[in-house]
Amino acid sequence: MRAFREVLLNFKKSGFMSLISIGTIAITIIILGNYFIVNKGINYFLLKVENKIEIVVFLKEGYDFDKIKNTIIELESLIEAENIKFISKDDAYQDFIKDKEILTILQSFEKNPLPDSIKIKLKRYTQKNIEKIINILKSKEGIEEIQYGGKEIENLINILNVIKIITAIIGIIFVISSLLVVSNIIKLTIYARRQDIYIFKMVGATNFFIKIPFVLEGIVHGFFGGAIGWAVLYVIINILLTEIKKETGLDFSKFYLFTPAFFSINFLIESLTAGILLGFSGSILSLGNIKEK
Amino acid sequence: MIKFNHVFKIYEKNIKALDDINFSVKKGEFVFITGPSGAGKTTILNLLYREDIADMGSIFVNNEDIAHISERKLPFYRRNIGFVFQDFKLLFDRTIYDNIALPLVITKTDKKFIKNKVEEYIEKTGLSGKENLTPWHLSGGEKQKVAIIRAFIINPPLILADEPTGNLDDESSWEIMKMFEEINSKGTTILFASHNKELIQKMKKRVIKLDKGRIISDESV
Repeated sequence: MRAFREVLLNFKKSGFMSLISIGTIAITIIILGNYFIVNKGINYFLLKVENKIEIVVFLKEGYDFDKIKNTIIELESLIEAENIKFISKDDAYQDFIKDKEILTILQSFEKNPLPDSIKIKLKRYTQKNIEKIINILKSKEGIEEIQYGGKEIENLINILNVIKIITAIIGIIFVISSLLVVSNIIKLTIYARRQDIYIFKMVGATNFFIKIPFVLEGIVHGFFGGAIGWAVLYVIINILLTEIKKETGLDFSKFYLFTPAFFSINFLIESLTAGILLGFSGSILSLGNIKEK
Repeated sequence: MIKFNHVFKIYEKNIKALDDINFSVKKGEFVFITGPSGAGKTTILNLLYREDIADMGSIFVNNEDIAHISERKLPFYRRNIGFVFQDFKLLFDRTIYDNIALPLVITKTDKKFIKNKVEEYIEKTGLSGKENLTPWHLSGGEKQKVAIIRAFIINPPLILADEPTGNLDDESSWEIMKMFEEINSKGTTILFASHNKELIQKMKKRVIKLDKGRIISDESV
């Protein structure tokens, strides 16, 4: 209670400084929130893309079935592989003729032109994993052609990863700046109140008694900064979603990151926690100064 | 209660603030420390309050060498000392009530007890009706009264006063001195730094006279 009164008193004394501290935390929360959304969105997208990627191996006419069977067993034992499926030319034919246009094309052949094939799904679609599988396949007999997403998918994944790294770097820069601003503002508050701190010490106050209001001040700044940051993000995302829907007809509000349940409760709690942590750490960083007062 | 044993305090550029100081003060004594500016009066009080540490010699308070009090225990040592300054050292953004209650709040005293005690002293010293004002609204004498009550409210065995009447007119000074006398009559030891000769003569107490950091006389009336 006493500590809250002290915080209020500090706010009255140096309200403008407190507003700067709260504002900086709010900006940091907006940047961090932005990173969080970009990161989650990209991860979600990558997962979707990866689920659709597979390596397709077309087999030569008249291949040795036993040798291919051994290759499949070998591939299945690899930790990189998630699922290996042999597709006979008949199964492939049945699958293709579901499309009427392809049916017409296929009917123009005397017999089924499709080869037997193997479909390989990977646990993680990375260049290293793909290369490993391709190298194994290339060393085997009876293989006509190997097809995979190749360079385009790899480039897309690389670009998305670069975006993730850039947003993370911006996030880290803002976390550090925010910590510095909060700690320096509390240092200024401590300087402005050095006479009061001297009086407190003179009448026998412990360091803990003197420090608590300043820590609480950091936490309060963090709380308000977190709440404001969340509110700004909430408004921006809602405006963006409405505008995108109006312009393109795409409704992103069903995407799990933007559903009201996720955005209003979880995200609010996370923003407040991040803000409070920033404010708390900032004030702790500045408190070494009290001893010399 | 207090014993200074060959105490030296030397500041930068070899300025001797205290030069071989020896004296003792018994429990319940009222002692003036006097001398011209720069004689070492404030240094003695600062050393006793552990704002500073002697460069040589030892200072005992209640048989404890205060140089050995740890940082952690220092606040508890200071709770046994009331300090009154020439410039009052009040919290100007808080009420008179809050200023007086501060030592009790720090020691986590019961709120009801604080209220009764603060109101009792406010009434005794004629500050009734001003408890909710800030020190800005008080005269110099009244501010010093508040500082004295704050120093005395936890009944410390020792009060240190550094020129507490230095900024006051004669009438207010006498009122303040009467307060100190009353506090002393209840058994509290008082060390009072002042260069007001007239006031010291009128009080008829023990006087330690300093000059250039040395004791040049120690006389009891």
